[in-house]
Amino acid sequence: MLHLSISMARRRFAALLAVACAVLGGAALVTGTAVLAESGWRSHLPPGRLAGAGVVVGADQVFRPGDGPSLALPERATVPASLVARLAHLPGVTAAVGDLSFPAAVIGPRGPLAPATDPATDPGTAGHGWSSTALLSHPHVDGRPPTGSQEVAFDAATATAAGVRVGQQVRLVVAGHPGTYRLSAVLLEGGPGIYVADRTATRLAGRETGPRAGTVDLVALTTAPGSEDAVDAAVRRELAGTPFVVSSGENRGDAAAPGTVAARSLLLLLTASLTGIILLIIGFVTAGALAVSISSQRRELALMRAVGATPRQVRRLVAGQAGAVAALALVPGVGLGYLLAGQFRQLLVGLGILPDALPLTVSPLPAVAAVLLMALVVQVSARGAAWRTSRLPAIEAVAESRSEPRTPSRIRAGAGLLLVVVAVVLSVTPLLLRTALGASATQLAGVVAAIGLALAGPATIRVGGDALARWLPRRTSAATWLAVANTRGYALRVAGVVSSLAMVVIFVLTYALAQTTLSAATSQESGAGTLAPLSISAPALGGLPDGVLDQVRKVPGVLGAAPVSTTTVLWPYQQFGSEEVESAPALVLTPAASAALDLDVRAGALRDLTGATVAVGSDEARLRGAPLGSRLSLILGDGARVTARVVAVYARGLGFGPLVISRDLVAGHTGTGLDQRILVRTDGTDPAARRLTETVAAHPGLAVQATGGGPGSSGATPPEVSINLAVIVVLLAYLLLSIANRLVATTVERRTEIAVLRLNGTTPRQIRSMMRREAGLIGVVAAGSALVMSAVPLGLVGVAFLHRPWPAGPVWLAPLAVVTVVGFALLAMELPTRRALRTPPAHALAQHG
Amino acid sequence: MSAAVTGADVGPVRGQVPAIALERVSKVYRGGVRALQDVSLAVEPGTFLAIMGPSGSGKSTLMHCAAGLDSPTSGSIRIDGQEIGGLGETRRTELRRERIGFVFQAYNLVPSLSVEDNITLPLRLAGRSPDPAWFGALVERVGLTGRLTHRPAELSGGQQQRAAIARALVSRPAVVFADEPTGALDLRSAHEVLALLRDLVEELGQTVAMVTHDPAAAAQAHRALVMADGRVVDTLDAPTATELAECLVSLGKV
Repeated sequence: MLHLSISMARRRFAALLAVACAVLGGAALVTGTAVLAESGWRSHLPPGRLAGAGVVVGADQVFRPGDGPSLALPERATVPASLVARLAHLPGVTAAVGDLSFPAAVIGPRGPLAPATDPATDPGTAGHGWSSTALLSHPHVDGRPPTGSQEVAFDAATATAAGVRVGQQVRLVVAGHPGTYRLSAVLLEGGPGIYVADRTATRLAGRETGPRAGTVDLVALTTAPGSEDAVDAAVRRELAGTPFVVSSGENRGDAAAPGTVAARSLLLLLTASLTGIILLIIGFVTAGALAVSISSQRRELALMRAVGATPRQVRRLVAGQAGAVAALALVPGVGLGYLLAGQFRQLLVGLGILPDALPLTVSPLPAVAAVLLMALVVQVSARGAAWRTSRLPAIEAVAESRSEPRTPSRIRAGAGLLLVVVAVVLSVTPLLLRTALGASATQLAGVVAAIGLALAGPATIRVGGDALARWLPRRTSAATWLAVANTRGYALRVAGVVSSLAMVVIFVLTYALAQTTLSAATSQESGAGTLAPLSISAPALGGLPDGVLDQVRKVPGVLGAAPVSTTTVLWPYQQFGSEEVESAPALVLTPAASAALDLDVRAGALRDLTGATVAVGSDEARLRGAPLGSRLSLILGDGARVTARVVAVYARGLGFGPLVISRDLVAGHTGTGLDQRILVRTDGTDPAARRLTETVAAHPGLAVQATGGGPGSSGATPPEVSINLAVIVVLLAYLLLSIANRLVATTVERRTEIAVLRLNGTTPRQIRSMMRREAGLIGVVAAGSALVMSAVPLGLVGVAFLHRPWPAGPVWLAPLAVVTVVGFALLAMELPTRRALRTPPAHALAQHG
Repeated sequence: MSAAVTGADVGPVRGQVPAIALERVSKVYRGGVRALQDVSLAVEPGTFLAIMGPSGSGKSTLMHCAAGLDSPTSGSIRIDGQEIGGLGETRRTELRRERIGFVFQAYNLVPSLSVEDNITLPLRLAGRSPDPAWFGALVERVGLTGRLTHRPAELSGGQQQRAAIARALVSRPAVVFADEPTGALDLRSAHEVLALLRDLVEELGQTVAMVTHDPAAAAQAHRALVMADGRVVDTLDAPTATELAECLVSLGKV
């Protein structure tokens, strides 16, 4: 059977080209997504600063709920300093270092210096105690270690950029305190870093008093050469049963930057949200390509049936052909997938979502996944597409092979309608879940509706075609009449083309406009709620220094100033009887926040945000049972469990996030302990603005900006838009390629038809005209049905997010999609028609009749 | 002279199991079209039968039902004593490839397979490989040695029909059915094909049933049935072309 499949496949390559393209593109998409997912799961940052430490012990930065995926804790959780002494005595350990970080930046002649050798180093964790230099492989110290509280050492590149030498004074902003320090040593090798005396470091990092007293960030152990594994094992034994995490080898990078683990889970989330749509589109395209290839082989398959192939053998034959072609196409497809993943990673790095140092994991797993998945899709689609033809009595198969099945299958139409109903149900989701998840349900609904249209298409086209034929005026031109007759008579073929074109329009419209509507609603809410036109931040310093807030408040003309930060909080809640934990972004506010933000508070007041209190969005308050006055158990970003009372419920949950947490509650639980931004409201006069600018300029490293889209955003294009655009472009290329193949193949198949028409007196010009009208009819029907299908999901998404029955987004998108689709149909039918017209009709009939 | 018998035949003369036996077979299509009405016939093994009639007489339908390509609405069909009328599609297909050979008027060969693959197709579908001696003899008999690796497109019409006949014979079937095998051929090729069929009957004892509208072709047969309106209206033994032509013309005069 395989030999037959391959022999038949070799001759039929043009028809199977569409299948090859479908499999190639599908394999690329699956591989690319799988590579990203695997990287999210398994990639590690290089150890960087911790390279010299063989084994690192830190707190567990991952929260593992009972069931469900583990969640990243992006804020640094600390470990007791007593661990240092305890682990120093283990055999093989040459030194044990308690590593601390605190915000530090060197102020050069023109403002704060970014670490020259690595611009990606976070100023929020740039400062360390001198003992951390033991972790550098060969520091090559020039000078002597800093002592006391006024001395500092840093790397040679920074010293050169700041223009200071050993022994000179240099200005720093350390943990929010500006000051002048004496440079006591310069490190000639070992990368960027700012080091102070250990006692000073402990004080600056807030480890002398307060909630983090007596702790360090990490315990790093340097080991004798070759004894790394032994030390690792010994440490694990020593710490068995404790919640600390022991890292060695490639895991050390994760310990150095807990924020990276959060970036990795973002990759996983992103790929998870894309997987559904990608799989549906791949299935759609592959099934369509196989339907075309089988349709072009109808006569041969009917003959096989007549000669003695059982229905199952026919299906196996078809599946064998498809499998042979797929096997060829899988290899370049998988290769392309790895490339795609690399490009997508570049995009994410460029958008700032992913750290550049985080590599992609390149392993054969994604290739295996792609091969298995595509093989399954191809086999199922092939057998499904051949089902009907294979089961006909042999002689009916021979008779049918000349035109089309007489009646479109009722099961198929029923399945199509069912899918459309499912799509409508999915479209209702945003009304209940006014979040990004709701918007992605709309995107899924669009694709499901398009597939439903594809299944129910033939029945609909037949009915529609009949109606159109009745309405046609009596004296239409021959070309128009023929075009309509062909559409009616070949409903299956036409429906295939129409649904492919409609899929393009539906996909583009629902995917793009759901996203833009969500963005519009979010920025509308946050814009309406942000009363303060100016915001002050200090990204180069790792956070705003102390005292800036008071100074700003004292500037005449300033009506109000409120500090704002963002953090991540894990929120356990009850859903359907089981406990779920969700990671939520949270705004950190003080009672003064209402001076700068209007969250549309419906109950309670923001001025009560002191102590262990939170405010929640009205949707969450309702869905998760957190009304005003109730107590919530939350897990802060570093893993600490707290209980807080709900003191306010606000309506602008979409624009500002579902949770607002008081600054008192997170004190000591964030990485830097400094505010990220101050929102300032002035009386609007120029003198006030000028005075504010002067006050700010007195502090190096501060920047004043206009608040573009609310306290969390920077006003630029949100990264989700770029990501969605990239996804649309890639999937669109895949869809259009498959449609082009399909259109060309179906037109080529009609050579006999065209020949018969010509022999009956139709001129080539009339044929071309007929084809153009058919293409136009198809394009219009496709665009029209696509617009109708998209209307419901997009209308509902508009109602859900913007309280109006249409979505927000570029107005030119729908017309552009329609024009593209109609133009595409015209072009894809024109060229093969011209080619077919070049063969004399009798010749064509003899070849294929 | 012909022994004109209308209606049912009285069964095999020599007491053998008939190669083909139809008993009161009817076929009604959707929409009420009566293609066959109560047809009964028996064909002895080793004979060459021709079935003639104007278009619409049901001769092709009769052949399709007898060959298992279609199922009758009522009645029994036996090939070599085995009942095939009530079988399911898969079972009928399996039987067809072992016991029945079929030759169409045109488009007999799968264009993407070589001639050899085409000839051995029924056996391959049954999961068997041909007996090399039989295969070689068959290929030589139809005159296609040296053409085995070619594709159907490289063969003339006559050669394609001969390949189709070889395919029909490769599984040593009980009966070979041929539906207008010479309809698309020029005179010389037609003559060759008919001579081949006749020789197969005489030399190998093969049973052949052929539908044709050409009296000259039907004259090669041992017996001819004439059909009209779904019934057998006349049976002629050892017919001549003239007798058959007269018979056909007289049908039109009713």
